[in-house]
Amino acid sequence: MSEIDNVTKENMPDENYWRGFNELYNEPGFAEQSGPEFQDKVTDEFNPEHLSGLSRRKFLALIGASAALAGAGCSNYRDKGDIVPYNKKPEETIPGEPNFYASTCTECSLACGLLIRTREGRPIKVDGNPDHPVSKGKICSRGQASILNLYDPERLQNPLKRFGDVFNKITWKNADTEIINALNNTGSKGIAVVTNRIVSPSSLNVINAFISRYPTAMHYSYELVNDSIRQSAWAKSGNKGLFPLISWDKAKIILTLESDVLNAEGELIETLQQFAKNRDIDKPDSFSRLYAVEANLSVTGMNADYRIKLRPDAISDFLVLLNNGLNGNTSAVKNFADKFNIKEKTIKYLISDLLKYKGQSIIYAGDKLPEQIHISVNKLNDLLGNDALYRKDTEKVYLHNLSTSVELNRLINNMKSGKIGAVIHLDSNPAFHFSASMGYSEALKKVPFVVTLTESENETSELSNYVLPLNHQFESWGDAQVRSNVLSLQQPVIQPIFATRQKEAVLLTWLSGRPENYNETTYYNYLMKCWEQTYYKNSGSEADFTSYWNNSLHDGVAISPKKLSQSMEVSVMPDKSLPNYDGNYILILKENVLLGDGRFANNGWLLELPHPVTKIVWDNYASISAGAAKELGVKNNDFINISVNRRQLKIPVFIQPGCTDKTITIELGWGRKKVGVVGTSAGFNANDFINYDDVFSPWIIQNVSVQKAGGSYSLATTQEHHSFDKEREQDLHLKRNIIREATVDAFRKNPNIFGEANGKGHKTFYTETDQLFSKGVKWGMAIDLNKCTGCGACIVACTSENNVPVVGKEQVERGREMHWIRVDRYYSGPVEEPKVSTQVMLCQHCDHAPCENVCPVVATTHSPDGLNQMVYNRCVGTRYCSNNCPYKVRRFNFYNFRDKFKSGYQQENLFTLLYNPEVTVRSRGVMEKCTFCIQRITKAKQDATAEKTEFKGSSVRTACQDSCITEAISFGDQHDKDSVIREKMEHKLAYYVLEELNIRPNVAYMAKLRNTRSEEA
Amino acid sequence: MDNKENIALDYRYELPVVEGNLKKSDIDDLIAAPLEKKANKNFYISLALSGTALLIGVVCIAITLFNGIGVWGNNQPVGWAFDIVNFVFWVGIGHAGTLISAILFLFRQRWRTGIARFAEAMTIFAVMCAALFPVLHTGRPWLAGYLFPYPNQNGLWINFNSPLVWDVFAVSTYFTVSLVFWYIGLIPDFASLRDRTLSKTKKIIYSILSLGWRHSHRQWQHYEKAYMLLAGFATPLVLSVHTIVSFDFAVSVLPGWHTTIFPPYFVAGAIFSGFAMVVTVLLFVRKIFHLEQIITLNHLEKMNKVILATGMMVGYAYAMEFFMAWYSGVPTEQFVFINRAFGPYAWAYWIMISCNVLFPQLFWFKKIRRSTTAMLVIVILVNVGMWFERFVIIVTSLHRDFLPSSWGMYSPTLIDFGILLGSFGLFFTLVILFTKSMPAVSMSEVKAVTEGAQPQHHGVSDHE
Repeated sequence: MSEIDNVTKENMPDENYWRGFNELYNEPGFAEQSGPEFQDKVTDEFNPEHLSGLSRRKFLALIGASAALAGAGCSNYRDKGDIVPYNKKPEETIPGEPNFYASTCTECSLACGLLIRTREGRPIKVDGNPDHPVSKGKICSRGQASILNLYDPERLQNPLKRFGDVFNKITWKNADTEIINALNNTGSKGIAVVTNRIVSPSSLNVINAFISRYPTAMHYSYELVNDSIRQSAWAKSGNKGLFPLISWDKAKIILTLESDVLNAEGELIETLQQFAKNRDIDKPDSFSRLYAVEANLSVTGMNADYRIKLRPDAISDFLVLLNNGLNGNTSAVKNFADKFNIKEKTIKYLISDLLKYKGQSIIYAGDKLPEQIHISVNKLNDLLGNDALYRKDTEKVYLHNLSTSVELNRLINNMKSGKIGAVIHLDSNPAFHFSASMGYSEALKKVPFVVTLTESENETSELSNYVLPLNHQFESWGDAQVRSNVLSLQQPVIQPIFATRQKEAVLLTWLSGRPENYNETTYYNYLMKCWEQTYYKNSGSEADFTSYWNNSLHDGVAISPKKLSQSMEVSVMPDKSLPNYDGNYILILKENVLLGDGRFANNGWLLELPHPVTKIVWDNYASISAGAAKELGVKNNDFINISVNRRQLKIPVFIQPGCTDKTITIELGWGRKKVGVVGTSAGFNANDFINYDDVFSPWIIQNVSVQKAGGSYSLATTQEHHSFDKEREQDLHLKRNIIREATVDAFRKNPNIFGEANGKGHKTFYTETDQLFSKGVKWGMAIDLNKCTGCGACIVACTSENNVPVVGKEQVERGREMHWIRVDRYYSGPVEEPKVSTQVMLCQHCDHAPCENVCPVVATTHSPDGLNQMVYNRCVGTRYCSNNCPYKVRRFNFYNFRDKFKSGYQQENLFTLLYNPEVTVRSRGVMEKCTFCIQRITKAKQDATAEKTEFKGSSVRTACQDSCITEAISFGDQHDKDSVIREKMEHKLAYYVLEELNIRPNVAYMAKLRNTRSEEA
Repeated sequence: MDNKENIALDYRYELPVVEGNLKKSDIDDLIAAPLEKKANKNFYISLALSGTALLIGVVCIAITLFNGIGVWGNNQPVGWAFDIVNFVFWVGIGHAGTLISAILFLFRQRWRTGIARFAEAMTIFAVMCAALFPVLHTGRPWLAGYLFPYPNQNGLWINFNSPLVWDVFAVSTYFTVSLVFWYIGLIPDFASLRDRTLSKTKKIIYSILSLGWRHSHRQWQHYEKAYMLLAGFATPLVLSVHTIVSFDFAVSVLPGWHTTIFPPYFVAGAIFSGFAMVVTVLLFVRKIFHLEQIITLNHLEKMNKVILATGMMVGYAYAMEFFMAWYSGVPTEQFVFINRAFGPYAWAYWIMISCNVLFPQLFWFKKIRRSTTAMLVIVILVNVGMWFERFVIIVTSLHRDFLPSSWGMYSPTLIDFGILLGSFGLFFTLVILFTKSMPAVSMSEVKAVTEGAQPQHHGVSDHE
């Protein structure tokens, strides 16, 4: 019954306004309720007890949290936040246009010049700085891959403080305050500042200032692998200063002794460039002849004209032999050659070459060899007048000496005995680098106060009280003394992504005693002041300091006609007597050119970069000869136990062709224990074997005992192991003309050694393509096998430029690596002394591309300018194109590899900053391959149109071409009559791989000339 | 039966197609029996087994679709492996059906009547199994529509140069024609079933399926015409489908694939494997459904002869490939073939040779040709061998091609095996359901070839 029906005359309200039925019908209780505004219990007094537990603050907090949660929880992958345009255009930035900044690489002590490409304020690619007088526009794989470290989500993001066994985040201010207090309270106890080699004068100034502020402080420095033996020997040979730089380009004969000078030693970039100068096919007379004496096959050995396989402990005998030989006594050569299974004639060639090219040859001993050998080598060089090749125009500078092993051991003893009050690790990781037998980690536990400044957590930071995050090199200011007359400047190209600081600024803040003194320009100002006070004054520049500074910053480098600073006096090592050759197992520890001393152990690009010789990725291994494997009863991947003086390592073996028997070679920098998810369980740590007190050399250990350990491992390789015992599989690359080789001598005698036709001479049924490609631009590439050393820098450059994903070890094992460019390595000849050939292989952009006609959906097509293109959006992924590609250069996304690799590690948001915005990020199920950097071609075309100039093919440089240290790669328009590429493609030595298929590839290779002796041709 | 075995067969005269003097009604009863009786335990057990296999396949396919084909063993350089091996295998299996029903029909081979229906059904199921793979093997199966030429606003078109496009047309045409042909043949039988059945539902279904067939002379006349035309239409398909499938390989530049011998070689191989599969299944069907008098030993023997003949064709092709590799003087080609026989996948090659060439030679002996046990073993081996033939062609050619640097090895994953198993599960599930829902042997055709069914000139038999 509705309430309206109850309305009678009596309860009918006046013509008043009513607020509801209760009032309308005058129901009892209504008047009561509507009377006083406040009910009985309601008082004006505020009593929190009457409230619900929810305070206003809590309520607001909850509202905020719910909103945030709703925002975060409901956001989807499409929701990338607002896209806000610049409402004020930043100076120098044009959206869509890259900016380039010159800087300096500080990842190793070579300090090469960098040119960093940034887009909308984020670095996306690193190349060499062409204005840099030493590295001349080139950097190594590591330098290129360092950009990946910048965006590594596993970098340290905040200062950490240890509480018991855990590290908690603290603020910089608290950390600084506590550290300053602690440093001030060390009293008479020592403070140790442990660094690697410092190449920055300003940085060293800061450290020195710190040392002088705290009287008990000492600076200790070390490098995992260093050239202290060479320098000590140089001093003992009666010379002043550092071992000189060498004019490799003036050498006719180069003899390297256990030195991977083309890949891992010395002034890498400069050496390679100078070496490549003498591999110019247009000047066959200028070819140098490289003799490499080594135990294990290295990049230098791969590129040698003659390789002499010799154990390092036989090198001193070899030098005696050589010395006698140079004096005309070659009677012992035959015995020696037989004893070590070397070709007698090779040694005789070497002796006569050294005699013939007196003053134009160089003998170069490796950093790891003992002092006596270096001294003998210095003597021999003097004897032959080879000191003419020592460079006088410039010299290397060491700003400080590395600590000797005595000093380091004293430090460790002092730490153990409690004499050290504080240890500061300034971007160094001694807990990993020092042999466990030195007891550094244990000693560190006795030190009350340990601070580690590092970019990402490591073995040393784990043992520290405070871990302070450092800037990446792209976020830092700095300088580096590259040469006596060259200084290189480092400038940041991005604001620190995380709460990181640079190490110098941290020290300066501590020095000032007040944490609040820190600001972003602390070190910048300091650096400028250093420059103003020293280099600007010395430069004799007429400009004012600001323009001097800005010019230097712009160029990334400052060159002075005068010497800017003098090297330290070299510390001489105590004499040791050299043990004789004894024929036992010997262990050689080598620096890995990719991981360096291990600080790149979380870098997926480098971990997945095939080793230049073995093509193994994601691991190191014990490299042994086939003979040693037979003796030990092991196969590839089997574990062996290596032990010497209670130091032990279980490591899988890899059988390396061309390796001396009874030598084991292990590369260092692997097997980091405390490392990010990428580098976890990658490789084995052999640092333990480094023994500074070894009679022979810290890195070459004699009398190791080796046994088969049982069990096996799985080493992933990107190239199937070569079979030496099956005749039908041998030398196929030569039989199939994939690699063409000749000797310099033969080429000089007959330039048409490979015939007149160069691949395009075959008739075709499809003449219309010839017409199609006869006009306009036609892209082509030429790769000079004489210059390519097989280092793999092009692979990293391509990975960086083209957003190639890291796939991980397991996927490489299944043959699914994604590199668009690869370096093929072929062995020919016997397993004991193989000849090695390398070949860069990438999409050949064939005119009659076999991949194109088999694609059912036209996802791969040909452009009028001769590019074989991939249309990712159209690709359904039948993989027919890949099957039909004779070069097998196409790569398929079997998964969304970014998703798949290490539980989506590459899906971290930070990585999106890394990607080149000009290149599509490919997803699952799509085929991809080299595009000849089409984004760069398009850019050059746009620029030409905008500038109304004629579009020239030479204005385009591919990423691999840019990165190639030896300039083995040329690229351009084949139709351009004056272009380098045209000249190369028409060269007598140019050939195409698999010409006989008549698919007309557009990548020409320059046949390799080996500079062997004419009597061998 | 045993007695009969001992009687020397007189091949000078055509052997009776239907044995045991079955009356026409007996034939109807015999063939319709599985459809009219309740399913027994064996039916459910076999259905459960094949269903399980199918389900495993479905799970593996789901895993593949969710993760990408990375869950398979395919890699660089082996871009195709189990996926395409299975595809070619199943397409090949289908060939026997069309050959038996169409070509043998045109050649007036009366013995085909006992087996044609079943073989045709197998064709359709096999092509269904095969059709799974081209879609599944793509990286992005959800875009499989791109493979069809449909007008679209993007102006995108397919590449008629690509054999994969030819495949799409060949296989879909083949499937459509086979289905229509099969269905036309089924119409009179559906009518018979409609007339026999007592169940109301079945009556409705059979009525619809029989399209109002009344067994009238006029209908028979039309039917015979239509059947003949379709047989003529299907005949070239027998040759074309596998020819085109072989083009997938022959058109490429890959040594080991790029061979002109492929089309006839693939067709012979397809018939070989198809007959082997038909024999495998029929051996069980005739036993379980007591059809020994209709699918007689003579039938099986004839099929075994076809297997022997096509097996030798295939063997000849194997030999010719080697000969041509040597004769061509192309070193890469020579390497591929030597690598097949002596390389890391030699085991697969020798399985192929022994199963496809050596074991079928036993069919020269009549005893073995007519022994159900022996032929079961041999035909199963032929099935295995033919699967391996495709494996050898695809994987061994891809794994070591031109550049030794890109050589690699292929090893399948559990998912690969799961999907292979699943395709067998699908096939056998469909076969089992077929035997229970449709006449496995053509009633009308068999009746037409019984003794005395045809008008005869001399009143005795029709041979001269």
